[in-house]
Formats: sequence, structure tokens, C-alpha cells
Amino acid sequence: MRVHYYPGCTLKEKATNLEDSTREAMARLDTDLVEPEGWTCCGAEYPLITEKIHGLIPPVRILRQVEIEEGSKVVTTCAFCFAVLKRANKAMLDNPTLHTRVNEYLADDILIDPTTKEKRTHFESYNGDVQVLHLLEYLRDEVGLGHLKSLVKRDLSHIKVAPYYGCRLLRPQKEVAIDDPETPTIFEDFLNAIGCTVVDFPFKQECCGSYLSASMPETSNEPSYRVLNSAKMNGANVVALSCPLCYYNMDTRQDRIKEEYLEFNGFPVLYFTQLLAWALGADVETLGLDKHLCDPRPLFDIKQNAEDVEVNL
Amino acid sequence: MKDDGKKKRIGVFVCHCGVNIAGVVDVEKVAELLKDYPGVEFSTDYVYMCSEPGQQLVLDKIKEDKLDSVIIAACSPTLHEKTFQSAAELAGLNPHQVEIANIREQDSWVHPDRDKATVKAVKIVKSMVEKAIQNEDLEPIKVGVFKKALVIGGGVTGLQAAMDIADQGYEVIVVEKEPSVGGKMIQLSETFPTLDCSQCILTPKMVEVTRHPKIKLMTYSEVESISGFVGNFKVRIKKKPRFVDEDKCKLCNECADVCPQIVPDEYNMGLSFRKAIYMPFPQAVPGTYTLDMESCLGTLPIRCGKCKDVCDAQAIDYDMKEEIIEEEVGAVVVATGYDLYDMKALGEYGGENYEDVLNGLEFERILSASGPTGGKVQRPSDGKVPKNVVFIQCAGSRDPENHNSYCSKICCMYTAKHAMLYKHRVHDGNAIVFYIDVRTGGKNFDEFYQRATDDESILYLRGKVSKIFKEGNKMIVWGVDTLTGQKVEVEADMVVLAMAMTKADGVPELMKKLKISIDGNGWLAEAHPKLRPVESLNQGFYLAGAALGPKDIPEAVAQASAAAAKVGALFAKDELMHAPTIVPVIEELCSGCGICVSMCPYGARTLNAVRKVIEVNEVLCEGCGACAAACPAGAAQQLNQSDSQIFSMVKAILRG
Repeated sequence: MRVHYYPGCTLKEKATNLEDSTREAMARLDTDLVEPEGWTCCGAEYPLITEKIHGLIPPVRILRQVEIEEGSKVVTTCAFCFAVLKRANKAMLDNPTLHTRVNEYLADDILIDPTTKEKRTHFESYNGDVQVLHLLEYLRDEVGLGHLKSLVKRDLSHIKVAPYYGCRLLRPQKEVAIDDPETPTIFEDFLNAIGCTVVDFPFKQECCGSYLSASMPETSNEPSYRVLNSAKMNGANVVALSCPLCYYNMDTRQDRIKEEYLEFNGFPVLYFTQLLAWALGADVETLGLDKHLCDPRPLFDIKQNAEDVEVNL
Repeated sequence: MKDDGKKKRIGVFVCHCGVNIAGVVDVEKVAELLKDYPGVEFSTDYVYMCSEPGQQLVLDKIKEDKLDSVIIAACSPTLHEKTFQSAAELAGLNPHQVEIANIREQDSWVHPDRDKATVKAVKIVKSMVEKAIQNEDLEPIKVGVFKKALVIGGGVTGLQAAMDIADQGYEVIVVEKEPSVGGKMIQLSETFPTLDCSQCILTPKMVEVTRHPKIKLMTYSEVESISGFVGNFKVRIKKKPRFVDEDKCKLCNECADVCPQIVPDEYNMGLSFRKAIYMPFPQAVPGTYTLDMESCLGTLPIRCGKCKDVCDAQAIDYDMKEEIIEEEVGAVVVATGYDLYDMKALGEYGGENYEDVLNGLEFERILSASGPTGGKVQRPSDGKVPKNVVFIQCAGSRDPENHNSYCSKICCMYTAKHAMLYKHRVHDGNAIVFYIDVRTGGKNFDEFYQRATDDESILYLRGKVSKIFKEGNKMIVWGVDTLTGQKVEVEADMVVLAMAMTKADGVPELMKKLKISIDGNGWLAEAHPKLRPVESLNQGFYLAGAALGPKDIPEAVAQASAAAAKVGALFAKDELMHAPTIVPVIEELCSGCGICVSMCPYGARTLNAVRKVIEVNEVLCEGCGACAAACPAGAAQQLNQSDSQIFSMVKAILRG
């Protein structure tokens, strides 16, 4: 199978473990991921100001490129990219003014075909016809969780996973939600399919601090700590997520959290794709586990029995 | 056209309506311009046409000038058409020769420009003159009345309506789908603002209903279909098998004692259990047991059949079958009540997952002396007495984006009552109420709320709750106090959600059968929100209680009595008059295509398969005109609203 895939900038830089594990897992699902030619940053956040045109041009251009390449779907793993593309796409469908104006800007594009070097200056309007899917949705709706389950090669039942949705997979509810924003189950269903033990915890949709960690870094300590602590208190031994920013706040910045919360001594955080690739039989080296601040590798030690797994908590 | 070439003598009366019309429209000019219009014999204007002298003017002129049709250019026909029709009748004119030209709602009230509004008024009046030229004298259609009423719903509203109709001397059938009457009210503990025991005031009424010689009670039954028309309905009622003979049952409870099947008890909102053969509650009416076959283990001796074995009275009959009972009634009172909005819809409050997050009715059961805890406040999860209870108002109400846009009206009062009753039972407990606004319109209502805040030291926090989750054995409530602007986190032992009132289960389907319209929220739609609040547009159907929208017990009871009075007024007549402005069939033109049959919302039109023409039940036809618009052959012509009349009216308007 061949499907368009939008990695987004972070996956090529900071979150290579998300990128690598996604590619590894999808290869094992016989899915060929095609990146749209000449993709750019999606803008990272859907434009919050009233004048949205400039913020909408990059994501719509990416979506139009998918359509030019005769793609009908585009899959993302980064929760932020997913939300931006999906909301931009919805704006093209629902808002005739934005549709007209964005297309007028994009009409001036000049596209050079990388192989034939031909110039393309004429473009059809982009009408929001490409379907934007988060990888979790792709696994549920296109691959099928039942089918996925049948492909699982490893026993992951000793991994007690707290699925962390964060904000961008669920909100704004009417524009992006991949599931009920208050009682979502898609992440849990996926984890069950790959054989993990799912741990329910009340903080799965709470904010991690988001990009406050860039402007006021200490502000994100408390929300991130509360998520990790709640997962731990409810019996999880790892938090799984899909957002590089959540990952940054909750894993990369764990040293800061430790400084503020002395009783906290680290808690592993994984991308869901790392668990997926591992379940499908990937080599542990392909998962980028060495990049984590809190080392999750004990969970992946295949020599150990389920009972012996003791994460360094 | 009936006028046989004879010119009509039409009178035009233009009303000023004080300044309502005359302030914008030049009424004198309108009257003047109409004087020479073909067919018009007389034209004048007057300051208040609906006043006594105004009506007298119309009456006198009809006689004096031998007018055979009058146009009243005034307000909407919904207001005064009847007034002028009866005035005309006094003068010996057929009321269907009276036409109202609406130059207020459709002209003066919506246009600021005097000249243009005057031109429009002239056009409106001329179009009505054109209509009147072809109007015929029509006589009302007479129909007999079957003086027996059907009440759907055996809650407090239905019971009150039944009693009030029966006391006027008419027979009543009450149909209730549950095994006992009593509705939601019988589940309540105490009622606001008097704190009198709900059961104590309702059970006498329930008993009275069973003893009333004019009332036939049909519990565990549902209305299957209703056909016919006002005064002459045929009702099919499905009587579900109870498997217990009401007359033989001695209420010894031995059957329930031996029954091995345990299921959640509906009466206690699932907070306790009942057997598969059960009596809903001790005061149930009719006082008998019901075998819930869906929960039954099996009636064959090899499976179970124990209840039948122990029943000395031989009241249990496993062979009882569902029955369809047909009745004839003249009027129907719909009192189908309400349900609580599902806690599942508010995932953030976790009502579905956490045992200690309750809805209002569940808490009523906990407070009730007949409830699962005998009136002792204990939380469901571990039976402990909760020391911190959070009450959340507007759970699912006043939230147009996610839930219901409307206010459920009773929650402010019952939450104050809940908190107060909780404090009365748990003296050292804390009650915290989250609210958006506190709305206490009603007799002694605000005093009750003041008592809650001032004397009972219940803490009211203005703000919404965003999330509830469990930590250990506490419920953590995250909210905001918008008066101080602070986030609030409460460690509660129990949370009570004042869930919105919503349409009762199955109501949209039932109303479709009864042809009673419902609004966007599923509440029954009254004929007029102010002036006909207990009537349906479908004649012969009367509406009462919470099925129309959120309301408290006294209001529901008042509506029940009002509906009963309306039924009484209907039954006081021996014959009913049906408006003759129906749509008959011109058989020569009818091809029997049947399009109009599917258009008719009243089932008034049927296709005669032999003659291949449509036949019209005159009494069922409400004259809505849907068939007339749909008929491709022009065979469906509404009386006094024919295609020819409409074309003449359009021409008059376009001509200026």
C-alpha cells in the first residue's frame, strides 16, 4: 500500500525517534510512505488571529501538493501537524471566503518538477478534498485494529501504558477530534490491539504546558509533572503519546521537573509508534530509544520476563 | 365562480389600529382608492375596527348597503378573523364571506416608508377583494362527539387530568407504560419549597384514580395507534402481559422471595436490586406483581418456574399474551412527561464510570425513606456517609454548543432542596453548589433559596465544573469560582449532577403516530405558546406537563387541570363544527395518481382503487392546502382558496 505521509519539521530534527519508528512500523505493515514533493513547515499552529490567510497558505499548499500527486489521503503522526492540516482543510471546505482568498494566493505559485524540470504555473483550486488522517485513525480505519492484532509478533503485556492524548488529537472538538473529546478510546483500542496493558488515568486529556515551555519554561513543569505522576499513581510504567511537544515537555524536560519536584525521579515516555514497531517485531536499535532522557530501554529488554521488568522509577 | 355574472357588493373597512397602521400607512387614501375598484360597493376607514362601534359600523353597513362580502384591512387574521366573522354573521352574512387583509404585521410594522407602505396596503386590500369576488357561502361540517377521553401517561399530570375529566362526569382511560402509575414524582423524596413528602401527597391521588368509577386504568400498556378525528378517535392500546392476575394476587411476596433472578431496580434508579417478579414499590397502583419476562430465568419447570409453584392464589399465568385493546374516544390528553438527560453525554463528569457521581433522581432515591438506604445518606460505592458533597447545576442545560440550550427550570430549586436535605441528615457535612445563575421564580422559591444559603450554610460557588475524576476514594472536582476568578479543586465524597430535563424516551416516535408536532428539543409543540398552551394544532389532542418543556409539579398539575377543562368544553357539545374550508376533489379532473395522499399530513385523503379517484374525509381535512399545491391536475381545489382565486390575487398585486 502507498499513502501520502506528512512528517513535519520536528520529526526530521528533534523527534527522529518518532519518524524512525513510524517508518519502521509502516514498512512492517507493507505501507509505503510518500512525502509530498517540496513540503514545508505546516505553520506549527493553526492561525489564531482573525486574518488567517498567511497562516493557511503553507498547510493548504501541502494539501494541494498531495492532490497534485493524486493522493486522496495524507497521514501524520505529529499531533500538532495533524491539527493544523485538518483545520486548514476544514476551512477550505466550510469557509468560502477563505477558500477563495487562499486559492488566489496559491494561484501565483510556480512549481518545478524535480525530474522533468518542467515549470507548472497553472493550478486548480484546492477544495478540501484530501482526507487528513492521524496515524491512529489510519490504523483504526484503513489497516483495521483486528488485522493489526494479527500481525503482532511480540508480547507487550508487561508494558503498562498510560495513553496520553494531550490536546491536539481532540480539540477543538468540532474541527479535529479523532474521537469523543471527553471519553476517547482510540488510543486505548490501539494499545489493546498491539497487546499492551492499558492503564486508565484521569489526566490523559490534560494540558502538558504546551509551548509555554518555550516562553515561560518553568510554567510547564507542573502540568507535565501532574500527567506523569497520575500515570504512575494509576499503575502505569510508561506514558505513550503522539506529540513531539508533549514529549519535549514530559521527557526532555524531566530534569527540570525533578528540580521542582524532589520526590519525582523520572518516568519513561514513549511515542506510540515505538510500541507499534516493537510489537511488529522491529529491532530495538531502530526505535531511537537512546534519545530519551528517561531511559525506557528496560521495558524493551526481551531477555527479561514480564515480572522482572522494573523500570528505574 | 358562483356569482353567475352577478357583480358582488363588497365592503372595505380599513382600520387605523391607533397609530399601529395609520402611523405608517395612509389609511384614508387606501379607503379612498378602493372606492372605485371593481366589485367594491363601499369603502371607509375607522380608528379601531375591532372596537364595539367599529364592529357595529361593519354590521350596519352590511345591512344598509346589502353587502355580500366584507374586507377588513387590519391586523393578522389569527387575531380578529373570528371577531369579524361573528359580527358579519349577526348581520346575516355567511362568515366565509369575511376576508382579512393584513396591513399591520405584513405592512405597517415592517416598513418605514409611508408612500411605499401605502402602495403595498392598497395592493394587499385589492388582492383580498379579488379573492372575495369568488368566495362562496360555506356551511360548517357537523360531526358527533364520543364523550370518553384517553390520557396518555400516568404521572402526576396524567392522573390529575384523568381525575378532573372524570369528575366532570366523563369516562377516562389512563394508559401508562410502566407497571405502576406515579411517574417521576413517586420517586422523589421531598418536594420544594415546602419539603412535604412526595409519596405522601401523590399516593392518595393514585388510589383515588383506581377507585373512581369513571376511570379505567391500563398500566403496563402503550398506545399503539390512534386514527380518526376530533370527537371520534379509534385507539389501539397494547397491553403487555404481566403474567400475574391482578385480581387474584394477594401481595404475599412469596413469588419474589423464591425468584432467583436479580436485576437493577428501576424505581431506585438501579441503586438497589429487585427480582424478576416484583412489585415496583409498596404503594404501587395497581397493587400487584409483574413478571418481567426479559429478566426471567425461564418458566418451564426444568429451568425455574418457582414463582408459580409457590403462588397459593394461583395468580401467576405464564400463558398470558400481549393483547391489543381497541377503544373509542373523543379527546386525548398527552402527558408523557420527561426523562433526565443521559450522564453519558457529560463524559468529563464521569457519571457513567464513577458510582459516587449521581444524577438528581438517584440522589432523590438516596434521600427517600423508601429508597435503597432507607433515607440515610450513604454513597453507593462503599456505603460511607459522605462528608463533602458537591452539587453541580446546569449539567447539560444552558449549553447550546454541546448539550441543551434551554434552562431546565427546576434544578436550582431541587439542588437547594438536595443540599438542604443533605445537611439535615448529615449535620457535620459540607454541601457545595456550583451554579451559573440561581433562578428562583415562583411562590416562596427565593425564600427557600435564601434559607439554603443563609440558615443552612450551604456554600454556593458561581462557576462551572470542568472535570471530575477519582483519586483514591475521593472524587476530585475541578471547577472555577468566577466571582473571585480562582480555580477551585474540591475533594468530594460524592457528587450530584442536576442533569437537564429532556424529552421522554420514545416521545418522537409516539408523537409521529399522534401527528403532534414537537420542537427542536423534542418537547411537544402547543397550538399557541401564550393563548393556547395546552392544545395541540391537531384537533382533539390536549397537552400537559413536562412533555411540553421543563416545569415543576404545580405547573404540571395546573396544565393537567387546564387540559381537562378543555376536554370538558369539547364534551359539553353534542356536535362539533368543523371548518368547511377543506379541499374536495373535482372527480372529472382527478386521475387517481395518489400524490395528494402522500402529501396529506392528516390522512384525510384515500385512493379509491376501483373508481381510481381520490376520496376525502371532510372531517379529517384541516384545509392546509398541501394537496392543492401538489395536485398536478388541479383536481384538488381548496374551497374559497382556489387556484383561480390565487391567480386573481396575484394579478391584482402585480397590476398595482
